[in-house]
Amino acid sequence: MTTTLDPLDFSSWWAPFREDTRPRWDCLPHHEDYADLLENCETLAYLIRSYTVYSMTCAALGHPGGSFSEAEFLAVLYNYALRFDPSEPRWPMRDVFYLSKCHACPGLYAVLAMFGYFPMQDLSGYGSWESHLESHPDWNTTPGIEISGGSLGQIPGVAVGRALGMRRRGPEHYDRMVYVLIGDGECNEGAVWEAFMAAGHYGLDNLVFVIDSNKVQAKGFVSRDMAIEPLADKLGAFNLDVYETRNGHDVGELVDLFTVLPQQRRGRPLAVILNTVKGKKVGQCQFNPNWHTSAPRSIEAAGEWLEELWLTDGRRLGIPPEFPAALTEAIDIVPPAHENPDDISEAQA
Amino acid sequence: MAQFVIPDRERTRQMRYRMGFALADLADENEDIVALDADLRSSTGLHIFDHFHPDKLVKTGIAEQNLVAMAAGLAQEGYIPFPCTFDAFCRRYMDQLYITVAYSNLNVKVLGAYVGLFTGKAGATHQSDKELGLLLRIPNLRVVEPGCNLEMEQALHCAAQTPGPFYLRIVRCEVEDNELWDGYEFELGRGVTVLDDGADVGLVCTGYMVKTARIAAQKLARRGIKVRLDHHPTLKPFDRALLYDLAEKVPAIVTLENHCVSGGLYSLVAEALAEVGAGLPVTAVGTDPEDFIHTGHVNDLLHHYRMTSEHVVEKVIQTLRLAGDS
Repeated sequence: MTTTLDPLDFSSWWAPFREDTRPRWDCLPHHEDYADLLENCETLAYLIRSYTVYSMTCAALGHPGGSFSEAEFLAVLYNYALRFDPSEPRWPMRDVFYLSKCHACPGLYAVLAMFGYFPMQDLSGYGSWESHLESHPDWNTTPGIEISGGSLGQIPGVAVGRALGMRRRGPEHYDRMVYVLIGDGECNEGAVWEAFMAAGHYGLDNLVFVIDSNKVQAKGFVSRDMAIEPLADKLGAFNLDVYETRNGHDVGELVDLFTVLPQQRRGRPLAVILNTVKGKKVGQCQFNPNWHTSAPRSIEAAGEWLEELWLTDGRRLGIPPEFPAALTEAIDIVPPAHENPDDISEAQA
Repeated sequence: MAQFVIPDRERTRQMRYRMGFALADLADENEDIVALDADLRSSTGLHIFDHFHPDKLVKTGIAEQNLVAMAAGLAQEGYIPFPCTFDAFCRRYMDQLYITVAYSNLNVKVLGAYVGLFTGKAGATHQSDKELGLLLRIPNLRVVEPGCNLEMEQALHCAAQTPGPFYLRIVRCEVEDNELWDGYEFELGRGVTVLDDGADVGLVCTGYMVKTARIAAQKLARRGIKVRLDHHPTLKPFDRALLYDLAEKVPAIVTLENHCVSGGLYSLVAEALAEVGAGLPVTAVGTDPEDFIHTGHVNDLLHHYRMTSEHVVEKVIQTLRLAGDS
């Protein structure tokens, strides 16, 4: 099927909810825009998943499970909670979002491109030689990324230093927030708990640790590989104020929560346990460690995922039926820049 | 020295204490300088910084990974953080240094205290004589090992002034104020010729060993062997030009380092000379990469690893014999 629809041009179905992403917004359920905000965030989450499928398949690389579990969180964060400016990525008064589970960057790259940090066309280059979209993010090459990383457990401590630095700079900077998204499996790393301890010690109430509790780590289930429960009790014992979502994919719940969080300046750092599903919304991936690391194996397989996402979400959110097929058709698996010199064979995970 | 006593600055020659004073001076001039301590401040000399700038010392507790991670976050807010713990413990935060600091190219200045054999009888767990093997292979990182207090103070100043990640190896023991010459100025990435009495043999040293090398040169002079001594306070980037100049003028080279003889200065010298096909013998003075260094007085350690000036003389004579045979 040939179509004239440009699947990377989403402007007919979605635009950022906020015209200006610099000021803080406050949109509670009685607000006249509330319903629009929720629908806008759901559409954004849908598009994050779809463009993630697109970039991962182009790259024959990626981490779908963690990218799908964080989609609604990223949507609400960038569409509502975070103060930033894509035209000035290092605007000194911005809030800071660190993706500590760096492997889940396909989801983040999609949202950064959609907010205009870099062209949507760049997404097809993810993971390929000479693209700025590294397999794990590099803050010196990709606008909107706040630190380079990829080895788990390091960035929560960076977030502590960052939040402490803001506080030292005085009230204007102390008003800025630091959000850091940590994997539940990542909580196996001892350094994460060093960061929790230091945040509690310094009482950094401009810092929010968000734990993507999607229950699955790289090669198995968190409860079986290395259990972290009772997580809320542990976080509380480290002097963090703990919030648990009933459903980390419910944008309404997330909007309400992220309205309240920046107002909780009570001398205690905040922790949010996002109750999510790894691989959410693609049946094959859900709760399945096999899809922690693995792009769809073929364009056809990607097409099936995109169709499934459309049936679940795209259709009800008013995305045209041609979109999944057009996006599938746009997939171009990026070949290596050089010939295969010695008949090397390297299979995906 | 009792714990937490602030030594007399005019009298102490211990590099760790002079570092504490020098860093405090820098913080007087620059509001952005902060130091981070992982519960070793009165050992590393940071207690002196704490004495003058209690509001600028961030305590991380005994958490070396978080020490470096928090320094990275502070650097991102425009601070110039100097995280400081024992050099041996860089093994615990090497990945934070490699990825969070160096890959991100952040303005973090790590101070490794108690380098090499000088750990005050702390034993195999605290001796740090293998770490350059990795530190010298981290992109973006500059590695400096000063040989005297003047040079340490200048290197600290340079690190504060120069954007990007630094690693400074600070020795615990007493050192001379100036092993070089009046008016000496440290320049990042440049080695210096300390003595040029002639071209019988080349000594190449870094850090504390400049002292040993100078004493050895005097002893060699008494035996009629004239020494050119080059000191390389910057190990990364390494001043190959000075080394190549030396290699053209001497028949043999001996390297001296307060570190094991693999992965550090000797490896830098050997790699550089091999690349240009320099055919002269090059031998090393330093510890054994296959050893855990057991507890003992530093005199005994230096004797065991043949790192005294007497041993350097012996090594020079052996190496010249090799050169004569070839």
